Amino acid sequence: MIKLNQPVLMELQADMAWIPLVQAVVEQGAPVLGLDRSKTLRLTMAVEEIVSHLARTALGTKIGFSLKPYGWHVLAEFSFRADPSHLWAMNLAAKPNLSDPNDLDHLGLLLASRMVDGFTLHLEGEVVHLALRQDCSYPVVTKIAADPIRSKGKLTIVPAPESAFIQAACVRAVNLYPARKNHTAFSMPGKVADMVAQKDMDMALVLDETSALAGMICWQALSEKGIGFFGPYVFCREEQAAALLTEHLIQRVARTKAMGLFSELATPELTTKEFESLGHFSYVQSDGQASREEVWYRHLGEDMGASVWAHPAMVSFLSAAYGRLVLMRDIRETCGFGEALPRRSVFSTQLRPELGEATLMPMVTGADAKDCVARHVDTLCRENFSNIFFKLDLAFGWQAALGGVLMENGFKPRLLLPHGGRSDLVVFQYEPA
Amino acid sequence: MAADPIWWCSSMSLLDFNRLVPAHIQSFEVYVPSKPDTEFMRLYGVDHLYRLNNNENALGPPPEVFDILQAFPPRAVPVYPNGDCFDLRNVLAEKFNKDPEQFLVGNGSCEVIASVIKAFCQEGDNIITADKTFAVYEWVAQFSGFEAKLVPLKDHAFDLDAMILAMDDRTKILFVCNPNNPTGTYWNTTTMTDFLDRVDNRALVVIDEAYCEYVEAPDFPDGLALMERYPNVIVFRTFSKMYALASLRIGYLCGALDVVNMVRRTHVVYSVNTLAQRSAAAALSNDGSFIRDTRKMVGDAKALVCPLLEELGLDFLCNQGNYLMVHLPFSDTLMYRKLMTKGIMVRTMTGFRFPNWIRVSLVQMPVMEEFCVAFQQIIQEMRPQRG
Ligand SMILES: Cc1ncc(COP(=O)(O)O)c(C=O)c1O
Repeated sequence: MIKLNQPVLMELQADMAWIPLVQAVVEQGAPVLGLDRSKTLRLTMAVEEIVSHLARTALGTKIGFSLKPYGWHVLAEFSFRADPSHLWAMNLAAKPNLSDPNDLDHLGLLLASRMVDGFTLHLEGEVVHLALRQDCSYPVVTKIAADPIRSKGKLTIVPAPESAFIQAACVRAVNLYPARKNHTAFSMPGKVADMVAQKDMDMALVLDETSALAGMICWQALSEKGIGFFGPYVFCREEQAAALLTEHLIQRVARTKAMGLFSELATPELTTKEFESLGHFSYVQSDGQASREEVWYRHLGEDMGASVWAHPAMVSFLSAAYGRLVLMRDIRETCGFGEALPRRSVFSTQLRPELGEATLMPMVTGADAKDCVARHVDTLCRENFSNIFFKLDLAFGWQAALGGVLMENGFKPRLLLPHGGRSDLVVFQYEPA
Repeated sequence: MAADPIWWCSSMSLLDFNRLVPAHIQSFEVYVPSKPDTEFMRLYGVDHLYRLNNNENALGPPPEVFDILQAFPPRAVPVYPNGDCFDLRNVLAEKFNKDPEQFLVGNGSCEVIASVIKAFCQEGDNIITADKTFAVYEWVAQFSGFEAKLVPLKDHAFDLDAMILAMDDRTKILFVCNPNNPTGTYWNTTTMTDFLDRVDNRALVVIDEAYCEYVEAPDFPDGLALMERYPNVIVFRTFSKMYALASLRIGYLCGALDVVNMVRRTHVVYSVNTLAQRSAAAALSNDGSFIRDTRKMVGDAKALVCPLLEELGLDFLCNQGNYLMVHLPFSDTLMYRKLMTKGIMVRTMTGFRFPNWIRVSLVQMPVMEEFCVAFQQIIQEMRPQRG
């Protein structure tokens, strides 16, 4: 499909009168940027809901709006000045009080958040930035049982594979590895190729002398200083392939500004001698069986030390983790001393229903944080998500302060990811007593 | 993923300054120098910090420099330094039997790297060097918008044939680090002249001799002599290494008059301070006993560390220069952190395309002994875990 690579930008005021215009922009614009009919329709509805919500709750506020193509997805981005508390309805677990007319005003947001493939929300001073992500549609491949090949001759790295090889590698990974070990996008090889083209993912392959695919590794920036990798996926019987891929990965990322390299999903073939274990998650698989996912870490530079925020309840976990990793951090405690907070919180939620996995992150923490966490857990558990994670970025006092609330709600700090966010990330896992 | 297109919020009047920045600068990664020692000591909870990370000469500076430093009149501070290091260039000329105009002194030899690239490269040109060598040649070329063709080392040394093969009609400069930092390998006179013959004046050849005063091998080529036969040779030397003036930032280049005349046009005058100029001249007056003592210090350190590395069964490179490299059975960056808790700072080499290697500067005995104890302890404590 031909996709234009130009954004559409506009500025308007929050007013019902502009809704048809914004609708038209998305309706006409999104297909040009690569979305199909049904995705376009859903995005149009979501955008309409946001503008109408702002017109009701912040009439006349200036809204910056853009529709931008990113290869494999389109972003509809808004920026405006408004009370971020009003956005609570974008929470997965938002439960409006149906008898309160104010709450009904927010129902549209709930709808909007369900219409799109993802959204992010962040505050910059008083300005709210809200981005709705709608992914392009791609054909999905299903697993066909296959065997690893017997490679011939010398294996060589392909540092920047072309699209056809990328897609073939995804198919091999889907066929040879369990879904739990694969990046969600592998089942849509075209999407992965577009992600690589868009530089939202990097991939390297190994080929044998006959140009047969012998292995693949891929990685993505998690943050400015953190990179997560998937693999190495080995499609042949040669052990050497995994080592080649891992070594190549380290060389490739060593000269970037990244400080930390993590396994997002490590396969058993990973040569771990140059990695440090960060610990593990326990997983409940779809068949109810428990499994463990070890997370491996490679520090890429000379650690300069840093300061991080922590709720007092997390300090002992952090001290132990930093001690084990020999990472020097000044831990500054924060727990909130009754300062004015937005009334309601907003959390983002990433779902992998096929794995029963949900990952939450705070976007706005409000006075209702405790209830909001409890509501999310409740909703997720009812929808059969048995692996619930919550990530806090210790660069931000307001995120770290949430640690106490999480621990009171059955979450336990599980892993520390150095440089996993703006600063170090702590991953909590829901483990009710 | 979410780029940050907030520029339309005119009320915030944010400047989209990225628009003003060329692509080759936007994509260039910033080099972050390390924190001051006091800050590291506080963070790592140690009462001392031995820096074995920058190949400094801990024995220095030579006593003649002490005299200059101690006698330096505060009244000289308001006065600009000599703009082109007139006196120092005369000392250099006399010492090496050249014309003073053949020397160009910079704020560290890093500055002259930039001056040479600026003088000879224009859009579309390239430079050639090795992938695993002193990184500043590559960095300066890249952030100036020129391609740096990086030729892989062969057996840890510069690969002559591959470098010649990499040349094209847009190649302006070839950088050869002799001896190489960090591998310590060097091209002997035969190899160097063979290389220069094959370059055949098609491009400039920079021979960076930052560590030449450490080399005692009789077949080590003297770039200053070679440039008499090969007018396309430019030699870089520094006072930061053997002469131990790293904090004063002073280094120089020497080349044929015509060549230097061109480089001078792009070179910032007044970039070298008075104290540095005088100290450098004083340092040159003692290249007998001071160099001998330093070489002995380095020799003693090698004699201590190498047998330990052998005993531990580790792969290492100990060639020329006041440094050696060790290949660790685990991550170099972890070794760095562990050594830091013992007050020792080494250089991790992952960022220099040698994953899991560290480079260790060779200094005086009590410090090297402390390094050995700490290093051995860490290796042993990591072994049982790793099998
Ligand atoms: C090979 C090489 N050249 C040049 C330099 C730069 O030295 P200066 O301090 O003179 O800028 C160094 C310093 O590390 C070096 O190793």
